[in-house]
Amino acid sequence: MSDSTVPPIPPAPAAPSARPGLSVPDLLVALGVVLLGALLLAGTLRIPFGINAVVGPRVFPLIVSVGTLLLGALLTVNVLRGGRAEPAAEEDTDPDAQPDLRQPGLILGGFLLGAALLQPLGFVIGTALMYFSVGFAFGERRAPLLAGVALAVALVTYVVFTRGLGLTLPAGILKGVL
Amino acid sequence: MEAVTSLLAGFETALTPLNLLWALIGVTLGTLVGVLPGIGPALTVALLLPVTAQLPPVSAFIMFAGIYYGGMFGGSTTSILLNTPGESSSIITALEGNKMARKGRAAAALATAAIGSFVAGTIGTILLTFAAPAIANVAVMIPPSAKFALIMLAFVTISATFGNSPLRGLISLFFGLTIGLVGTDLQSGQARFTLGRPELLDGIEFVTVVIGLFAVGETLFVASRLRKDKASVIKLDGNASMTREDWRRSWKPWLRGTALGFPFGAIPAGGAEIPTFLSYTLERRLSKHPEEFGKGAIEGVAGPEAANNASAAGVLVPLLTLGLPTSATAAILLAAFQQYGLQPGPLLFVTNGDLVWGLIASLYIGNVMLLALNLPLAPVWARLLLIPRPFLYAGILVFSTVGVYSLNNSVFDLILLAIFGVIGYGMRRFDFPVTPAIIGVILGPVAESQFRTALQQSNGNPTIFLQSPLTVFILLAVLAALIVPAVLKARAARRV
Repeated sequence: MSDSTVPPIPPAPAAPSARPGLSVPDLLVALGVVLLGALLLAGTLRIPFGINAVVGPRVFPLIVSVGTLLLGALLTVNVLRGGRAEPAAEEDTDPDAQPDLRQPGLILGGFLLGAALLQPLGFVIGTALMYFSVGFAFGERRAPLLAGVALAVALVTYVVFTRGLGLTLPAGILKGVL
Repeated sequence: MEAVTSLLAGFETALTPLNLLWALIGVTLGTLVGVLPGIGPALTVALLLPVTAQLPPVSAFIMFAGIYYGGMFGGSTTSILLNTPGESSSIITALEGNKMARKGRAAAALATAAIGSFVAGTIGTILLTFAAPAIANVAVMIPPSAKFALIMLAFVTISATFGNSPLRGLISLFFGLTIGLVGTDLQSGQARFTLGRPELLDGIEFVTVVIGLFAVGETLFVASRLRKDKASVIKLDGNASMTREDWRRSWKPWLRGTALGFPFGAIPAGGAEIPTFLSYTLERRLSKHPEEFGKGAIEGVAGPEAANNASAAGVLVPLLTLGLPTSATAAILLAAFQQYGLQPGPLLFVTNGDLVWGLIASLYIGNVMLLALNLPLAPVWARLLLIPRPFLYAGILVFSTVGVYSLNNSVFDLILLAIFGVIGYGMRRFDFPVTPAIIGVILGPVAESQFRTALQQSNGNPTIFLQSPLTVFILLAVLAALIVPAVLKARAARRV
């Protein structure tokens, strides 16, 4: 998938109008990195020392946690001095669009519901649900068509992976039918 | 001419009807998935991992070779016809190739990309054939301290080159290192950061991290700010083909691109972005038609695309000889090796010679197959670009689910996938590059093991890292890679 390194295409509008103020979301992320470092450090100190080991299991986590703390601190300083992140420009995104968090929420909800139903109801129904929620979130409103495609894709995937490639996926309520 | 004998044996492995079939399936699937907009080679390989789950290692890696090159071929089609580079090294192809396509020269752009990739891939593979065993011979003698230093070099250069700010790259790297820590420490048997969950004792599967950060993260991010207007796909009538004039203008850029791409891929600090940009600049300077650049110059597609593919072959040199991946795709290949209980490195040529040489031989075969698939079938691949976005992204998510679920048949892994998806969303939103995190997850445990082995050999004396001249040299390079860009940036800022 395109890495977030891909420069904006088309170029993002030149951002700062005058001097940008402090960005609260950016500050939260920076503090989040600091918090992660602190939690790691706390966790590291709870790792027992290895026995008979010159370098125990603690040393490397210690380096990682202290490093995370330092980097988090640097990012915090950067944000406090007015730094802010440019959201990545992806292939199908519109850099000028107003971000709408309901759509990813819908996908995530559908995904978790599908995951929860994967074992009781089976792979086909679980993933068809996921498929439907993504399709709907991406603006497909012809529900019967979307549901049909979702079931077909899930079914074909199931058959190819279980029959063709020998993977085991839960059949669920369709056990015996498939 | 030991390499030639080994290579012939490799061809014997790769040319069995069954392995040829796997290679063909690999290049076809690789192209197919690689063409889909939004999917770069790294994710192509990760998504297709479960397909190979039941295959013996040799066939699996022959298939991977096909997927690897196929993903790159597919990516150039997307760049040219849709102006959407799947990874940063395809930016130039998109820039210049899409302009060509808009002028009605899509067939020539696709042809010069495909033939150039073939030329570069083949020359790159020849160089790999001879360079890899030689480097493997030397690599056996590299002490653990120097290996650790080499990994540091890869870490720093990857963090600094991907993304806009080295700080954000390093944070991404450390996030990956953190994920790599989770699980049982192999040397002492201590559980680390498992939060009491037995599912985490074996660590977090890299496939879950890769697919979560790349595929699910991308899906969530695109959904949050979807482009309402239709993407403009350029129609392609007929095959990809070139005129005599196109050939005349293409062949030198192919060779120059190859010459730039391979070494940059092969040094453990590379990546494909730098050589593609260099190749573009070079062609622009050498061209008799510099005014065409930026408006669809064929040299601007031929050179960078060759550089990109040559570096893909070059990347396999440090991967196979040192176990050092220098791109996200190589990191996933490394992890695939590890899944089969194989550790790429100098000894792999001794212990699994048939596998390595079968893999290298299948790179030659895959290249030929790709050329045969891509020139006449270009219109077929182009049609894939017309899949409506809702159906495309929904399909990507379902394949992600299969890939992750089939690892352990565990719903817990799907929850992890969702968590990494949200993190991947956040990384895009807050401009953290994903690749350093992937490299951190996969190389972190290797770095730790080399670090500890080095210290154990010296009985815990940390000056071991200063005793070998090689190690010191590499560590100085690491420092330079950290400091020089910052200094240059500060200077540039002062001048403004």
